Amino acid sequence: MPEVFIDGKRYEYDEEKDEMLLQFIMDQGLEVPFFCYHPSMSIPANCRQCMVKVGTPVKDRETGEFELDEDGERKIRWFPKFQTSCSTRLQDGMVVLTQESSEEVARAQKDNLEFILINHPLDCPICDQAGECPLQIQTYKYGPEGSRFEVKKVHKPKHVDLGPRVTLDAERCINCTRCVRFTEEISETHQLTIVDRGDSNYPTTGPGETFDDPYSLNTVDICPVGALTSTDFRFKARVWEMNQTPSIDITNGKGCNVDLWTRDNEVLRITPRQNEEVNDYWMPDVGRTAYERFNENRVDRPSIKLDGDNQSNTSWNNAIETFAEILEAHDSSDITIIGSPHASVEENYVFNKFFNLLGTSNAKFTPHIIPGSGDGFLITDDQAPNTNGCRVINLDETDNDTIKATVSGAKVVIILSDDLIGREVLSSSDLNDSYTISFATNNTDTTKASDLVIPITCVAEHTASYVNVDGRIQRSYPAKETKYTNRRLNLEMSEGRLDRFGTNFDNWVSEENKVDCLPVWDFLNKLGDRLGLDFEYNHSREIFSELSDSLDILNDVSYERMDNEKGVQLPIKQEEVKA
Amino acid sequence: MAQDWKSFEPLLIPDIPNLEKIDVYEENGGYDALKEILNDQETWSRKSVVEEVKQANIRGRGGAGFNAGLKWSFMPDPDGGPRYLACNGDESEPGTFKDRKIFEYNPHLFIEGALIASYAMTVDTIYVYIRGEYLSWVEMLQDAVDDAYEKGYLGDDILGTDVSIDMELTYGAGAYICGEETAMLESLEGKRGYPRTKPPFPAQNGLWGRPTTINNIETLANVPLVINNGADWYGDIGAEEHPGPVLYGISGHVNRPGVYEYPTGVPVMDLINDVAGGIRGGKDLKAIIPGGSSTPPLRADQLDGVTMNSDSLKDVGSMMGTAGMVVMDEDTDMVEVLWRIAHFYSHESCGQCTPCRDGTGWLEKVLKKIKDGEGEMKDLDLLLDIGNQMEGRTICALADAAVWPVRHTINRFRDEFEERCKKSVHAVA
Repeated sequence: MPEVFIDGKRYEYDEEKDEMLLQFIMDQGLEVPFFCYHPSMSIPANCRQCMVKVGTPVKDRETGEFELDEDGERKIRWFPKFQTSCSTRLQDGMVVLTQESSEEVARAQKDNLEFILINHPLDCPICDQAGECPLQIQTYKYGPEGSRFEVKKVHKPKHVDLGPRVTLDAERCINCTRCVRFTEEISETHQLTIVDRGDSNYPTTGPGETFDDPYSLNTVDICPVGALTSTDFRFKARVWEMNQTPSIDITNGKGCNVDLWTRDNEVLRITPRQNEEVNDYWMPDVGRTAYERFNENRVDRPSIKLDGDNQSNTSWNNAIETFAEILEAHDSSDITIIGSPHASVEENYVFNKFFNLLGTSNAKFTPHIIPGSGDGFLITDDQAPNTNGCRVINLDETDNDTIKATVSGAKVVIILSDDLIGREVLSSSDLNDSYTISFATNNTDTTKASDLVIPITCVAEHTASYVNVDGRIQRSYPAKETKYTNRRLNLEMSEGRLDRFGTNFDNWVSEENKVDCLPVWDFLNKLGDRLGLDFEYNHSREIFSELSDSLDILNDVSYERMDNEKGVQLPIKQEEVKA
Repeated sequence: MAQDWKSFEPLLIPDIPNLEKIDVYEENGGYDALKEILNDQETWSRKSVVEEVKQANIRGRGGAGFNAGLKWSFMPDPDGGPRYLACNGDESEPGTFKDRKIFEYNPHLFIEGALIASYAMTVDTIYVYIRGEYLSWVEMLQDAVDDAYEKGYLGDDILGTDVSIDMELTYGAGAYICGEETAMLESLEGKRGYPRTKPPFPAQNGLWGRPTTINNIETLANVPLVINNGADWYGDIGAEEHPGPVLYGISGHVNRPGVYEYPTGVPVMDLINDVAGGIRGGKDLKAIIPGGSSTPPLRADQLDGVTMNSDSLKDVGSMMGTAGMVVMDEDTDMVEVLWRIAHFYSHESCGQCTPCRDGTGWLEKVLKKIKDGEGEMKDLDLLLDIGNQMEGRTICALADAAVWPVRHTINRFRDEFEERCKKSVHAVA
């Protein structure tokens, strides 16, 4: 194996990976500061921060052997200049000195940070990036203590709306060109460019252009300073006040891996989480606005229609009692249950299993696909996160017309988390002749037309798995609490800085931000008790391990594997499942 | 040789009226070198042309002084795909204005040289990149190119052979950095003029990822001379290690500023006193910048016996550069000069690399402070320190070019700078 020596320590590397030095250093868990390098984009080597000292061993031209000095050590020919490690290809026998072992290198990196900082406004106290800012972090680690810059800083445009979602502060920009390269190489809209020269240059759109790239907010994520900020999120919260919880984008079928950022049980923003098998470092802008539906317009407490069309809130006891009475009053053949590609695998499974115990036929579902709305990248035609999940657990896949026909013949219709009226599968008159019960996270046209609405947890509140369009099963974690303390769920909640280091009184706790809802399985537990059914789950883990035991396709799949492997690819393709 | 420079007959821009007309050029032996090569490709194989030029040791006239033939030999073997010659006529370095004389007075010599180079390197397309401010000169060259096409020196099957070469003119939009060879390639590709990281070098990965050689206009104009007269003849002109005729661009406080053609190795004082007619107003010489603004300035007392060739200038701590000499008389304010140069580099830094982007701006601002009488002694050391932090840490050499004049002007005229700092309102006793 070829070898390199970094700070005196020997490492072997794989020649076929054709890696650059900086990436290799990071892969070893070591660190060299950098700004412009991004593993998924081209390497411009323009920030010059990752300078290291590099040398190669001297070989005897005739024998091809390494030349040795008087101490028997290999003679090293040092490159006359510092090399940017991001653009330096590994070579057998290469000797590298980083800031850890070389004063010279540490000084050069400090010098470079001094240059970066002279025209930077240093407005960290009012900057959104503070707390997650590579410039801030690396300045504390490697930067100069003070400043020798006693002349006037360059002034550039501030708070410029580049497009509907991204705001530019050009003075904070350090010209790493990550955003420009993103629009050139990843989203391929070519909407951003650098204008002007020297220390007055900054990124912006062409004249008359709007930065309305459907992936525009990714530039905010990769901006190593606070130059590009999210117009929606800016000035809403400091990063250290928020909790970061891994989750899945539920706005389309791709299932982009995301992080939900919460404070006081409100989701404030959604950012992509790296997963090279699904979304790499990116996600579409639409997925990021989904946080609103986790906070707003939620079904809060059960609702019931008592007189005509007016719904009013009711107690859980009354909701359970009413639900039970309706089920007892009808023959199971008069009850139609409709599963949902918008709900998780576990929800669909327990929903179907519960009513099957009462003798209903299998749940039907209709995929929510809008042909032509995808872009072949991270936006799919499939509008739902779990179409394949419904297929995996063998719900009856039908089309919109069949759903309409089935509903019109039923006396009781039970719908799981799917706005069938809103997406024009049904019209509200279709539900006039039946008693309709909706399990729902948000108020929709369908919940409005329902006689009984059961509020359930959304993806931000529960643990559940989803199978994306490519057949990859991935899971969510609870990011915000509901009205009810559920210790099993709370155990999986992420801890923020204030949870870890603050007192009980440091964190915000507003009761009104907690939604009065239950996980589907928890509600069915209670309904099962009332009906005298043998039905009891304490956690989605139990549901999933039951599934895993009973379905071949999920045999070796578990939450642990999903956690460790960032999701598990199931041996299916969308087409195969359809057939 | 150096001593008989006065009897030298110009070769690049000979004194022949209307030489820019293709008929006149042909009557005076023009395109003979090209004809000889193309008509006798057995003697003049592509390799042997490269060898001849390499042996003549034409040092690149764009400033770096690299052997042109050696550069040509770096081109990989043809693989059937396109290969390019990019001719650099972006001359934007303050003090440099020589190439436009070739466009104006002897454009066909350059075209012929570029054609020979293209033949030698199996290039099928020549791009000529000319600074945008030279629009009139672009038109002059375009007329010459049109004539060359008409006469069959350019285009398909040149002179009835199977050699086909095209020449395309294009011009910049006012950025000095586009004269840096890889930034020029980016600009030719229609992109922002950002220098590329090397490796890969242009010979491997140049225009649109294809093998490309970049030569200065004046360098290529020397090529027909070598083919017509042989490498040995060429090597006997001027200084031994830096042979050939050179277009000296002399500007500043002299009586006759202009472009003059003489061999390399002319004594600096002769250039000032005899060629350019001495210092204006009979004043004393204070300093020169020998080869464009990035070359370190020299004090008058450093110029004894110094000649215009790279070795002699290196000995006294400067460079030949583009041979665009700026002459400054005793009344020159060196602080003002240095600030103006720093202003230029700050304005022209492309802004890609951190040390250059922010360093050039910082240098300029501190120099402005000193110029305005608000400088402090510590600012002088700060300037040198900033320079050390910039040099050798960027993708291209613009940062180095910005640092050298600062370092050497301060070191060589330290008294003047200290004097200015003392007068400062901030000065302490």
